[in-house]
Amino acid sequence: MGFVHFLELLFVVVILLVIGIPLFGKMKLKKLVEAVDPDSDEYKHLLVRKEETLISIKELEFDLNTEKISESDYQELRKKLEAEANELIERLDQLEQARKKNKSAKSR
Amino acid sequence: MNDIGEFTLLVALATAIYGCVAYVMSARGNRIDLYLSADKTPLIVWGCVMISSICLWRGFLTNDFSLQYVWAYSNIELDTFYKVASFWGGQKGSLLFWTLLLTTYTVVVHFQNRKKNLRVVPYAMAVLFIIIIFFLFLVNFSTNPFERIPLPPEDGRGLNPLLQNYWMVIHPPTLYLGYVGFTVPFAFAVAALISKNLDDGWIRLTRKWTLISWFFLCMGNLFGASWAYVELGWGGYWAWDPVENAAFMPLLIATAFLHSVMIQEKKDMMKVWNMSLILLTFVMTIFGTFITRSGLIQSVHTFDEATLGYYFLAFLFVILFSCMALIIARLPLLKSENQLDSFLSRESSFLFNNLLLLGIAFATFWGTIFPIISEAVRGIKITVGPPFYNQVNVPIGLALLALVGIGPVIAWRRATVSNLKKNFFKPLAAAFIAAVALAPVIPLGSRVENYTYITFVLCVFVLACILIEFFKGTAARMGLHEESMFGALATVTWRNKRRYGGYIVHIGIVLIFAGIAGSQAYGTHVEKHLKTGETFKIRGYDITYEKLVAIEATSVKTRVIAQLQVERNGSHYWTARPEKEFYKGQNQPVSEVDVLSTWKEDLYMILADFRDDESATIKVYVNPMVSWMWTGGWVIAFGTMISMWPDRLEQRRRLERFRREETLFPSPAQE
Repeated sequence: MGFVHFLELLFVVVILLVIGIPLFGKMKLKKLVEAVDPDSDEYKHLLVRKEETLISIKELEFDLNTEKISESDYQELRKKLEAEANELIERLDQLEQARKKNKSAKSR
Repeated sequence: MNDIGEFTLLVALATAIYGCVAYVMSARGNRIDLYLSADKTPLIVWGCVMISSICLWRGFLTNDFSLQYVWAYSNIELDTFYKVASFWGGQKGSLLFWTLLLTTYTVVVHFQNRKKNLRVVPYAMAVLFIIIIFFLFLVNFSTNPFERIPLPPEDGRGLNPLLQNYWMVIHPPTLYLGYVGFTVPFAFAVAALISKNLDDGWIRLTRKWTLISWFFLCMGNLFGASWAYVELGWGGYWAWDPVENAAFMPLLIATAFLHSVMIQEKKDMMKVWNMSLILLTFVMTIFGTFITRSGLIQSVHTFDEATLGYYFLAFLFVILFSCMALIIARLPLLKSENQLDSFLSRESSFLFNNLLLLGIAFATFWGTIFPIISEAVRGIKITVGPPFYNQVNVPIGLALLALVGIGPVIAWRRATVSNLKKNFFKPLAAAFIAAVALAPVIPLGSRVENYTYITFVLCVFVLACILIEFFKGTAARMGLHEESMFGALATVTWRNKRRYGGYIVHIGIVLIFAGIAGSQAYGTHVEKHLKTGETFKIRGYDITYEKLVAIEATSVKTRVIAQLQVERNGSHYWTARPEKEFYKGQNQPVSEVDVLSTWKEDLYMILADFRDDESATIKVYVNPMVSWMWTGGWVIAFGTMISMWPDRLEQRRRLERFRREETLFPSPAQE
């Protein structure tokens, strides 16, 4: 066996070891992800939506300051966006409350 | 070393196949052991491809002509600079280079995401690996760059003289960085479809990747145009060549995507549209590669051994149909309840811009594939030339240019007619003044001249729209805070990087449009056969042909240089030295043009021919405003840099969101 072939063999062995060790080692965790929790997904989605709605309100203010929209349009759109944000916050609160209740029930 | 290079390519392929399978199985079986095992593969694959690439580079730098690829694209006399670039000078090396870039991107994606979004990331990595496997399959079994010559010749054939230009080092890697980069958003989009995580998470994860890829593709196109301008010696920079089109189409679709994702982020709508756009962008990058490597369509860019068409065609169809099937299967989840608030809004202007961009992309696509279709249907290959593209794309392009100005001025969600009147008054007034001022100065009559006039007026309109935006933002900031004008301008730009960075990119686009219009409409050229001492005139330049000099530059290259003195208003202006280069073993000489570029116009000289009596045929082009295009490119680069600069506010928001999520729904590692 030439030196190059020896190197190649060594290379393959190292790679097999590197990718093989996790398969035979003991893992603290068994699962890659927890089962899909619709509440968790909804919560994450609503957090993003809330953030976007608040950014939209800021941008609306910017549009008013730069005279891109009129005062009346601003008031109307702001009301609409605030209502959207309130709805999102309420739903987020509901999910938080429900989750906390579940947690305390589990711990008991 | 060559054995090692060949061997590591095989190991890379085997590891990539394992990685792909392990990622999919880890996600489907929810197995962390498999994920952790797969987690090692991106780095191994990248390492193997890197070793292989180093081996090939070594072959070039040490003149190892036992490698068929090195023999075909290098020789002993070749500059080290070009030996490095010869790596991607031919089909085999360019595919290895593509693979190297793709695996590099994959490693970066891996390190960015390996511990988060574990429902999506394994699938995204698997998709990236599928594409890597395809390319590794080609470089291993179809276009192996380590193919040997049994009896190595003493010297190589050399790099095509046309490719011996500094742009060879810059243009292909830039373009490839763009092409390959779109694999990342594509992989995440497919992963989102497979894992049913169809909110805008994948868009946020890949926003910067999309922008970087767009930037490289844009610069790649411009660099390509610049290279064609100085190297091919025809006085132009864009010929609607199929391969140019192939790089242009994904750029158009990606531009549409960059705009329409903003609507999804803001309003949680247009999910199907955005998904389709990013899939189409990726498909177009593969289509471009198919064109370059199929030999089906004639182009100056196609590789000599263009035999890979069927592999790419098959791959293209597999991707296209599987993605379409995935989108159709997920249609119920991609539906959005939100709607546009008003027809008069920035959202709808973005929709129009999408339609126009896709219109240009479709017309370009149709023109590109028309020779194939005509041959299939009628048995005659009919090539579609620049007149077709110009006739269809110029009017759409002008409408698009108008939208570049209109979009930023319209408010998000809703605008009213009275607002529009108020906001568009100044830009329209500026455009009107420009129209009146330009009418007597600019020749009108022919279609090209009329289009050019409209372009200039629209450029003024768009510039006015953008500058007023900057001014209003600055004024609003100054009204709310006690800041100087420059301080307020800097703050308002820095706090809204995406918005104002985008506006700066738009200024770059305006410069490019103006440059194209000016150079296309008002360029002139003349071709003269001159004896030494003879003079001729063109656009106020007096050009005197002085002498012809032949120089043995290297043992394989002879340069024949014509020296011309250019005078303007009776005083010396420039000494031009266009030349022809003759390479040993090459039938055709290469023209090296000489260009004096100014803000107003380029004086572009070509030594077209010469005779033994030292007389020479000189072609001179006066191309107005060409440098505007290259300046536009730098402005785009600056704007993109601002848009991409990390936003601390956004990072803080993301961290806050993550903290809240983790408090309520901790990830397994924390439970």
